[in-house]
Amino acid sequence: MKNLINRIRGVERDVIEKPGDAGGAPFYKPQGDEIEIFQAAYSKRLPVMLKGPTGCGKTRFLEHVAHTLGQPLVTVSCHEDLTSSDLVGRFLLEGEETVWQDGPLTRSVKEGAICYLDEIVEARTDTTVVIHPLTDHRRQLPLDKKSQIIDAHEDFMLVISYNPGYQTVLKDLKPSTKQRFVGIHFDYPAEDVEREIVAKESGGLDADRVEKLVAAGRKARALKDHGLEEATSTRALAYAGELMQAGLSPRVACRAAMIAPITDDPELIQALEEIFDAHFPESEAA
Amino acid sequence: MSDIATNGGAKPEAEELVEIEEILQHLEDISFVAHRDTKEALPAIRPFGATSARRWIETARDLFFHDRESGKSFMRHSARLAEHMQTVELWLEQAARFKEWVNSNYALEGFMAQADRVYDAWGEAGEREWAEIGLRWCARSLPDARAYFETDFEKLAGGRGIDGLRALIEPAETLFDERGLTLDAYLEGAPIARNLVGDQGLLSWARRGADLLKAGRSRGEAYFRLESDESLKLLLEALPGFRPRMHGRFLRLVLMAWLDADIPLADSSWKPGEGRPMLETDGRRLFMPAVMDSREEAIVATQHAAAHLAFDTYAHSEVERLFARAGAEHPPLDDKSRITWRPLFAPFEARMFRFQVLFDLAEDLRVNARLAPRIPNFLPRLVALAEVHGRPEGVAGVYFDFALKAHQALLRDEPQDPRLARVLEPDADVVTAWAVGEELFADEAFPEITIEDRAEAYLPGLSLNQSLPVYPQRKRDGSLADFRDHEAHDEHKFEHQKQEEQPQQAPEQAQKDPDADIQTPQQETSGTGGRIGTGIPQPAQVAKRAAPYTPKKDGIPYPEWDYREQRYISDWVNLYERVLDDEDPERAATILSENADTLKRLTRGLEMQRPMRLAPLRKQLDGDELDTEAVIDYIADKKAGLSPKAFIYRRRAVQHRDTAVLMLADMSTSIMARHPGGQGKIVDRVREGMMLFAEAIEKVGDPYAISGFASKQRDQVNYYWLKDFNEDLNDTVRARIAGVSGRLASRMGAGIRHSLEAFRRSSAQRRLLLILSDGRPADYDDGGDQRYLHEDTRMAMKEAVDAGVHPFCITLDPSGSEYLPAIFGPGHYTIIDHVDELPRRLPEIYLRLRQ
Ligand SMILES: Nc1ncnc2c1ncn2[C@@H]1O[C@H](COP(=O)(O)OP(=O)(O)O)[C@@H](O)[C@H]1O
Ligand SMILES: [Mg+2]
Repeated sequence: MKNLINRIRGVERDVIEKPGDAGGAPFYKPQGDEIEIFQAAYSKRLPVMLKGPTGCGKTRFLEHVAHTLGQPLVTVSCHEDLTSSDLVGRFLLEGEETVWQDGPLTRSVKEGAICYLDEIVEARTDTTVVIHPLTDHRRQLPLDKKSQIIDAHEDFMLVISYNPGYQTVLKDLKPSTKQRFVGIHFDYPAEDVEREIVAKESGGLDADRVEKLVAAGRKARALKDHGLEEATSTRALAYAGELMQAGLSPRVACRAAMIAPITDDPELIQALEEIFDAHFPESEAA
Repeated sequence: MSDIATNGGAKPEAEELVEIEEILQHLEDISFVAHRDTKEALPAIRPFGATSARRWIETARDLFFHDRESGKSFMRHSARLAEHMQTVELWLEQAARFKEWVNSNYALEGFMAQADRVYDAWGEAGEREWAEIGLRWCARSLPDARAYFETDFEKLAGGRGIDGLRALIEPAETLFDERGLTLDAYLEGAPIARNLVGDQGLLSWARRGADLLKAGRSRGEAYFRLESDESLKLLLEALPGFRPRMHGRFLRLVLMAWLDADIPLADSSWKPGEGRPMLETDGRRLFMPAVMDSREEAIVATQHAAAHLAFDTYAHSEVERLFARAGAEHPPLDDKSRITWRPLFAPFEARMFRFQVLFDLAEDLRVNARLAPRIPNFLPRLVALAEVHGRPEGVAGVYFDFALKAHQALLRDEPQDPRLARVLEPDADVVTAWAVGEELFADEAFPEITIEDRAEAYLPGLSLNQSLPVYPQRKRDGSLADFRDHEAHDEHKFEHQKQEEQPQQAPEQAQKDPDADIQTPQQETSGTGGRIGTGIPQPAQVAKRAAPYTPKKDGIPYPEWDYREQRYISDWVNLYERVLDDEDPERAATILSENADTLKRLTRGLEMQRPMRLAPLRKQLDGDELDTEAVIDYIADKKAGLSPKAFIYRRRAVQHRDTAVLMLADMSTSIMARHPGGQGKIVDRVREGMMLFAEAIEKVGDPYAISGFASKQRDQVNYYWLKDFNEDLNDTVRARIAGVSGRLASRMGAGIRHSLEAFRRSSAQRRLLLILSDGRPADYDDGGDQRYLHEDTRMAMKEAVDAGVHPFCITLDPSGSEYLPAIFGPGHYTIIDHVDELPRRLPEIYLRLRQ
C-alpha cells in the first residue's frame, strides 16, 4: 500500500537505487521483444528512448531490466521548470564557502548508473542540450560552470521516455535529438497480458473481475482524443484492481482510479461510467 | 313590431298565434327561402308554447333582416336545438344577440351547430358560459368569434369541461387586449400547447407568439401552428423526460466506446403531440427526437440504431437481395441517392403495417442478438425497460409481448419461438429476418394493427426501421470504423443537407406520422410519387395552408439570452458575414480633405502616444530591478571563482502592437436620420468618425478592425466587415467606410458575439471593443419588449469580459443614460451630445481608453 501511495503521489526517485538483493526483480510482463532490444542496446551502451503512452509500463520495464542487469537506476521526472542545473548540478552557498553539488545526471555519469529522464519533452529545451554529448560516441558530460568535462563511467547508460502525441507539436523532440537514441515502442499490452498484469498487481483479484475490468478499460480507451487526453492506462487498471482488493465496490473503484483522475468533463464522466457500469452490474456492487 | 313584442312580453295565446301568422305572411312576401325554412322549423318549436314560438319567429325574422345568412343558419338548426335541449328561450335569446354585429353570420352558424351538444355535455350553466365567452369575442373581433364557435367545444375544453375551456380562452382574452393577439391564430396550437405546458404556461407561451405575430404575420402564425422553432422550444421545455439533444456528446461517446464508431446525431422532425417519439436513421446519422422517456431509453435506442448500421440492415447488397427475392427491381435512388423500401411493402396492401411490425420485430431481434455480446448490459437494460414499460393496451400488446418474450429468452438463454430462432443463427441477415417476418405474417394470432397503434407495438428504444429513406450502406459485418474515419468528417455537409430539405417538407407531413397520408397501399409504387411505409418527403405535396415559415439557418449560429427564461437559447441567431458593396471612393476623398485639419492635429498628438507595454524580461544585463534567482546563481558562481557575467536584472521592455481594437458600428436605419442639433445626417458623422479613427490608429500602429451590423429578426443578422484586422487601410477600405449607410434593425448582442470570434484571431493581450451606437438595441421580432435585447446585450457584454475583451460603448443617443449603465456598466460608455463632435471624439476616446 505504501508503494501504491508513493506511486500515486509521483514521488521522485532520483536517488541511486542499488538493486536490492531481496525479493528479485520487480514484476514485468513483456509485451514483445523489448527486453532483448534493451539488453542489446545496453551491451553497446547505446542511449535508449522508450516511446509510449503514460502508464503502459515503461518505468516498470526499466526497473525490471535494471534489476536483472544488476544496474543502479536513477530516475528524474522532468517538468517545465527543470533546468540544466537541476540535472547537472550547481554551486551552493554554505557559510562563506561555495560547494558544488552534483545533479542526478552527473552522479549517474560518474557512478555508472542507468539514468532515466522520464517525459523528457516536458523539460526546457536548454536542458535537452546537455545530454547531447552523452548520447554520441564521446559519452561525455560537460560541466560548464566547473569548466570540466566528465567522461562517462563505462556502465553509464542514458534512457529517456517520450510520450508521442501527449505534448503539443511545439514541444516535440528535435529530430537531431531523437536520432541519437535506440527506440523501443510501448503500448498498452494485449488483453491477456493486461489481465495477467492487473491480476498480479492487484494482489490476486479474482479472475472474473480482472476480466471485466480489463475489458471495460479497453473500451474506455476508445474515448481517447474525444476529450480524454490520456487514455485509461494499465496503471489505472492496476489501481482499480488494488482498490477492489482493498474492499471497494467495483463501481466505486473504477470511478476513483479510472474516471476521477483523468477528466472533469461531465459528459465524458457519464460515458466512462456507462462503460464501467455495464461491466459491473449494480448487483455486484457490494 | 313594437319594442314590447321584440323583447317578448307574453300575451294571450290567440294574440301570439295571430302574430306568428302575420310574420309568416310577411316572410312569404319577402323571401321564399325564409318562409319555407321558418315553416319547416316551426312545428318543432310550437310545443314550447305560443309565446316561445312567437318570440322564435320574431328572432328568425329579425336575424334574417339583419343578415340573410344569419337568418338561414338560425332557421336551419332550430328544430334540432329545440328537440335536443328541450328549451327554446335559452338559445334563441343567445342567437338574437348576434344581431348586434354586422357579418356575425359565421359565428352564429358555429354557435347554432354546437349549442345542443354543449348543453348536452355541460348543462345549462355550461352552455351559458360557453355562449357568453363567444359573444364577448364577437364584441372583440368577428373572425375570432367565428374561430371560437367553429372549433369543437370538446377540443377547447381538453376533456376538462367548461373549466378547461375557460382556462384555454383566458390567456387569449388577456393578450387580445394587451397585444392584439387574435384568437383565430391562438386556437391553432393552444389546445396542444396546453397539454404540454399546462394552464399556467399557456399565457407566456402565447405572449411570445403574440410578439412574433406583431413582428411578422407568417412567422407568428407558424408559431401558433407549432411549426416554428420558437414555439417548439418553449413547448419542449415543458415536456418531461430525457432530452437526447442535450446529451448528444454523451450518446456519441457511448457509441464510440462500445462500437468504435463516431456516428453523427441530428434532430428528428418529431414534435410534441405526434405520438411516441422514436429514433430514426437514414443510414448516415441518427435522428434524435427532442424528448425520450428516459436516459435509459435514449441509450438503448442509440445503441440499437447503431446495431442496425453495424449489422447491415441497410446494406445496399442486402436491399438488392430483398428486391431480387421479391422479383422486383429496386426503385431508382432519389435525388439525394437514398433508397426506399416502399415497393417491398406494397404487396401487403392494407395489412402492410402488420407486416412492417413483424418484420421489424425479427430484424430488431437479429441485430440486438449480435450487439449483445459487445455491450454487456444492453440486453438486460432493454428487457428491464420493457418490463417497466409494461404491455400496452389493445392489439399492440400482442406484438409487444411477443417481442419482449423473444428478448427475455435471448437474455436468459431460454428456448426461442422456433420461427425467431432462425434470425439468431450466425449467418442470419436482413433477408432472413424478412422471411421470418413473412412467416409470422401468416400467423393469424397476430391481430390486424392500424397505423395509430403501430408505434405502441415496439419495445422501448426500438423503432420503425424504415421510417426514412436511407443512404444505402456498404456491408459492414459489425465494424463501424468507417464512421469514425470519414462519415464524421462529412457531418457538417450532412447537417447542411438536412436544412435544405426542410423547406421541402410540407408541414402536414412533418407533423404527422410519415405514413399517415396513405390511403390505399396499392396506389402507385414506382418509388417516385407519394409516400408509402417509408416516408419520402415529397416536395410535390405542399401545404394546404399558408407556406410554413422556416427560419434561415445557413449562417453562423449564435445563442441568445432570454431573460424571461433565464437561460441561453442555443443557435437562436443566424448571422451572415456580408460584404458592403456600396463603395464610394469620391466621398472618401471628400471626407479626408474636409477633415484634413483635424487629422493633422490628431496625428501630432499621436506621435507621442506610441504604444508601450512593459513586460518583464529575465536575466538581463541592465534593468529596473534585480532578478533574485539570477543573483543567487551569480553570487554562487562568483564565489566559486568563476567570472560570471552580471545577467541579474529584470527589465520591462517596450513591446508594440499589444492592444487590438475593433470598432463595431450599429448600422441600423436610424443612422439615416438627421440628428437634432447637428448638420446633415447621423450617418455622415459616422463615416467621418470611422475614417478618422482608421487614419489615427494607423499612425499608432495598433491592430484594428472596423465592422458594422444590422439585423432583420433573429435569423438574419448581417455583419459587415469594413476593415478586417489583417487588411491594410487602403483606398478600398476607405471607399467602403465612405459608402456606409443604414439599414434594418440593431440586434446588438449578436454583433458583439461575432466580434468576439474575430478577436479570437488576434493575439493581442488587450482587446478593446468599441461599440458605436445611436440607440437602444432593438429588432423587429422583439415584440416591443425592449428588455429582451437589453438583457441579451448585457449578457453579451459579460461574455466579452470573460473572453478578455473590454467593451466600451459610444452612443449618440441623448437618452443613453437610461439604459447604458445597466447594459455596459457605469464608466463603460460615453454619450456624445453633439453629433458633429463624433468624428473628432472617436479617435480621442480610443486613445484615452488604451492608456
Ligand atoms: N508489462 C507490465 N508488466 C507489469 N506491470 C505493468 C506492465 N505494464 C504496466 N504495468 C503496471 O502499470 C503501472 C504503470 O506503469 P509505468 O511503468 O509507471 O508506466 P509509464 O512509465 O509507462 O507511465 C506499473 O506500476 C504496473 O503496475
Ligand atoms: Mg429497430
